[in-house]
Amino acid sequence: MDQSVAIQETLATEEDCITSDRGHFETLVKAAVRTWHHKVAAFCFICVIVCACSVRLFIYTHRRMAITADDVSLEDIFPVSRHFEVVEVSSPDELAILGADTRIRVSFQEEVLEVSLPFGSHSRFFLGELNKAWSDVCKSSSHVPKFEWLHKHSKTTGGQAVIKQSLTPLGAKMTKLSKQTGLSQRLHTPDAVAHSPAHQGTRAGPEIAARAVQNEWERYGTCLGEGGAGREDRNDMVRSSSHTPANKAQMLSIPQFGLRDNLIRCELLKNEDQYTHLQDFSFFLATYNVNGQAPKESLAPWLSCSSSPPDVYCVGFQELDLSKEAFFFNDTPREPEWMRAVSEALHPDAKYALVKLVRLVGIMLMFYVKREHAGFISEVEAETVGTGIMGRMGNKGAVAIRFRFHNTDVCVVSSHLAAHIEEFERRNQDYRDICSRLQFRLLDPGCPPLAIMKHNVVLWLGDLNYRISDLDVDHVKNLITKKDFETLHNYDQLKRQMDEEAVFEGFVEGDIQFQPTYKYDTGSDDWDTSEKCRAPAWCDRILWRGKNIKQSTYQSHMTLKTSDHKPVSSLLQIGIKVVNEEAYKKKFEEIVRCIDKMENECIPSVTLSRRELHFQDVKYMEHQTESLTLFNDGQVPCQFEFIQKLDEPTYSKPWLTANPPKGFLAQGAQVDIDLEVFVNRSTAPDLNIGLEHIEDILVLHLERGKDYFLSVSGNYLASCYGTPISTLCQLREPIRDMPLPAVRALTKGGESPEGGDKPLGIPKEIWMMVDHLFRNAIKQEDLFQQPGLRSEFQEIRDYLDTGVPDSLPGSNHSVAEALLLFLESLPEPVVPYSFYQQCLDCYASATQSKKVISMLPQCHKNVFDYLAAFLRELLKNSDHNNLDVNILATIFAALLLRSPTKQDLAEKRKTQEFFQHFLVQDLS
Amino acid sequence: MAKKTYDLLFKLLLIGDSGVGKTCVLFRFSDDAFNTTFISTIGIDFKIKTVELQGKKIKLQIWDTAGQERFHTITTSYYRGAMGIMLVYDITNAKSFENISKWLRNIDEHANEDVERMLLGNKCDMEDKRVVPKAKGEQIAREHGIRFFETSAKANINIEKAFLTLAEDILRKTPVKEPNSENVDISSGGGVTGWKSKCCS
Repeated sequence: MDQSVAIQETLATEEDCITSDRGHFETLVKAAVRTWHHKVAAFCFICVIVCACSVRLFIYTHRRMAITADDVSLEDIFPVSRHFEVVEVSSPDELAILGADTRIRVSFQEEVLEVSLPFGSHSRFFLGELNKAWSDVCKSSSHVPKFEWLHKHSKTTGGQAVIKQSLTPLGAKMTKLSKQTGLSQRLHTPDAVAHSPAHQGTRAGPEIAARAVQNEWERYGTCLGEGGAGREDRNDMVRSSSHTPANKAQMLSIPQFGLRDNLIRCELLKNEDQYTHLQDFSFFLATYNVNGQAPKESLAPWLSCSSSPPDVYCVGFQELDLSKEAFFFNDTPREPEWMRAVSEALHPDAKYALVKLVRLVGIMLMFYVKREHAGFISEVEAETVGTGIMGRMGNKGAVAIRFRFHNTDVCVVSSHLAAHIEEFERRNQDYRDICSRLQFRLLDPGCPPLAIMKHNVVLWLGDLNYRISDLDVDHVKNLITKKDFETLHNYDQLKRQMDEEAVFEGFVEGDIQFQPTYKYDTGSDDWDTSEKCRAPAWCDRILWRGKNIKQSTYQSHMTLKTSDHKPVSSLLQIGIKVVNEEAYKKKFEEIVRCIDKMENECIPSVTLSRRELHFQDVKYMEHQTESLTLFNDGQVPCQFEFIQKLDEPTYSKPWLTANPPKGFLAQGAQVDIDLEVFVNRSTAPDLNIGLEHIEDILVLHLERGKDYFLSVSGNYLASCYGTPISTLCQLREPIRDMPLPAVRALTKGGESPEGGDKPLGIPKEIWMMVDHLFRNAIKQEDLFQQPGLRSEFQEIRDYLDTGVPDSLPGSNHSVAEALLLFLESLPEPVVPYSFYQQCLDCYASATQSKKVISMLPQCHKNVFDYLAAFLRELLKNSDHNNLDVNILATIFAALLLRSPTKQDLAEKRKTQEFFQHFLVQDLS
Repeated sequence: MAKKTYDLLFKLLLIGDSGVGKTCVLFRFSDDAFNTTFISTIGIDFKIKTVELQGKKIKLQIWDTAGQERFHTITTSYYRGAMGIMLVYDITNAKSFENISKWLRNIDEHANEDVERMLLGNKCDMEDKRVVPKAKGEQIAREHGIRFFETSAKANINIEKAFLTLAEDILRKTPVKEPNSENVDISSGGGVTGWKSKCCS
């Protein structure tokens, strides 16, 4: 029965139950703070619930079959976080039996709960999902799971009436939720639901839920407390979204199991015959419709009829229990009774292990294997399909077990198909339904579900219910008495349907040399004497499908009289693919080598047209570009990106950029990357004095691949741009004519190298530009307001730095702009940063302002006075040059009075007012 | 029967002076081949190889680094995360041996504390050009408590052995618990083999 519908109904819209399993809890090892309804062993559902990014394990107890939300009650919530763990525990006192329940211990800090999950693929799938969710949570450890959504479960505890209701003695109806409200909730948007009082009302749950939630909050609180340090570490490792060589290591170490595994599996399968050989094993198949009876006699005549002990037993039952309880609750005492009876009747000359038992209402299948073969059984799964009432219920249908024996996949089906002589089409339909609906979920979540027919060997047994038709009862009985089974076969529905290929296609059945197994008066060998007086029929059959199978015996067992059917058995010799370990290992290694090779070849790779880039004679504010070509010579498309080096904020030095800095490159494609150098005022000062060089190494990283180093080199031509006023005052020659160490010494120490030579009053570069403007541009229209030419700026800069040509080149506007750029490039502004605040403080007073300026270092003060005097001269010609105090104050205050930090508008205005004092004053 | 193609992933790093044969050592191990033309590695390259040790399939991811001096600052940032480091010198090149202590210091400063180290004296096939006696290699290895092999990528001497030994040493230190294991053998009844949170352990 599927409980997921019932459970989903108890959840809010944004919560989703990804998987659930039916469990049985026996021990609450430590649950002191917990008030559980069931303090003793009880059945429960254990569900993985997700909401947004967080995952919870909800534990519900339930009444019998869980059909609606009324049938389940929430007992506990375990947050699936790093403090959560699930481990499998082996039973302390019992031997680990193949196919036994899986016992897991769920714990969150101090809370521990043990739950048994039924053996099989579903539980495996459930644990797989839980494991996946848990690893996801742990992986994204930097992200703190959000628990807000659990508020809802705590809010739901408000309603008094409901709490009272929750105190019913059994406590079985706890988290009540009517189906109707559940549905209506889904009509709302999630937001509306979360806040609607109706929602809270209907969600009003039991006190227990509140406690569980509260506990969770407490637990989470503790978790935060102690987990803090650990999280920091992880954050440190995650660091940033961009890559560095160091976190590349982490990216590469993420194992990619899936693809490799599948490739290897595929290759192994392809070459199976190279490392396996066939070996016959005896399979004893048996089927018995017991008509709801308890075992009354030894089953040894049926199960131990072979001379030597078979290797494998597959024993199927039908109509194990015909009671309503069995039908509705899938719960019957017959299961252990018949299991015991079978176990006792197995061949006495060998020891057998019960690998798996599966039952659906009255249909059961047991799979035993000789102890010495147990180690070669793997991938055991069991599934059931009901085809009874409404086409779903378990009164008819099939149970199946699949397993791998050595290297052969075997599937055994025990089925009970539709009854009544005329219903053979229905039986055909049941068969088809079973084949299509019965799917084994494998351990590996990457594998698709496995259908019955996908197995190397399929063994199908059971009460298939096909009858003998078109013959009257007496005629049938007459033929049986004459043992003319051959004639009778012609009237057997199964034989006919198989001949028509309407059912059991590809299956083989051995010759039937025994009389029909149905229907006898119970306790006798007499044909049915009841009112219905049913015609005898071979209802109970054993078929197989697959290669290398020989039937040794196929018989009924008349001595057993418990039921109105006789049991049937067949001994098959099946050729099983046995692995030659040596050959397997060799093949496996060969494949691994091959895949390693493929993987190595698939590492993204590119060739670079050049690894060394040289920038010759880099100048201030002058772009230089060098290009290289990236060619994807690998076998896969690749993603490239320049990544930052450890402890560096960007992938390159600030004067260097790559364009494009990242991109995608198809296989065989190429892309040109431009590396561009541009030295601006922030990078020039250190380059001028040789503290910094045009030198860098770029790391070009390929996603999941190699890293390439690109060496960038070059030389920078020192410039007065970006050189301090104090240094320039010491230089009587153009800066380029000075040896670099001398300039560096000047900048650092401030001492004149020529010893005794008086420093210049102001840098000659300023004088040259200002004097030029004073002489040529005093009446220039829109001076300082019209931009100059870039090429002329470069000429002016070269003139200032080298003294060549003989006079200052360029138009008035270009010279004016070069002057502004010069002032802007000064590492220490004309009004040094340390005076900036004082200027702001006294901007309102002309006297105070002048006092501040008088305190500047001599060369700075000189430059300031010189510029102010020049600007005042300009203002005298404002009729021609269109300048006024405001314009000049705006332009020059921003260059002379620079803020050491970010400047706001008010400050800006103050600096302008400050500077205006010097523009309006008289020279006196 | 094996279900998974590898159980563990080990990251190894090859370091040492330029031209000592790091790339050749790797190429010999991964592709069982040797190339006489010298192409300086300018960057970080890697190859993978799956080996089996003590019944465990271990995927080795081996990183080859640029040996040139000018790249040292950058290559040290790749040390972090390496579980094993092979420090290679050339027995025909005294300078490459003298630099060993510098490389070892580098490891101390930049690699994980518990990184497994190994010293390789490569090109041992060139006996006539040898300038570093084997004893000297052994001595420095002993002083630092690390393993030492003389190898030849060209003559395929000790290459496989060196890698397997290094992997084994790492394996010995690796906790038995494998949080990523999805292996389930039948005797466990199916399900989880035991995974728990790291911060609880």
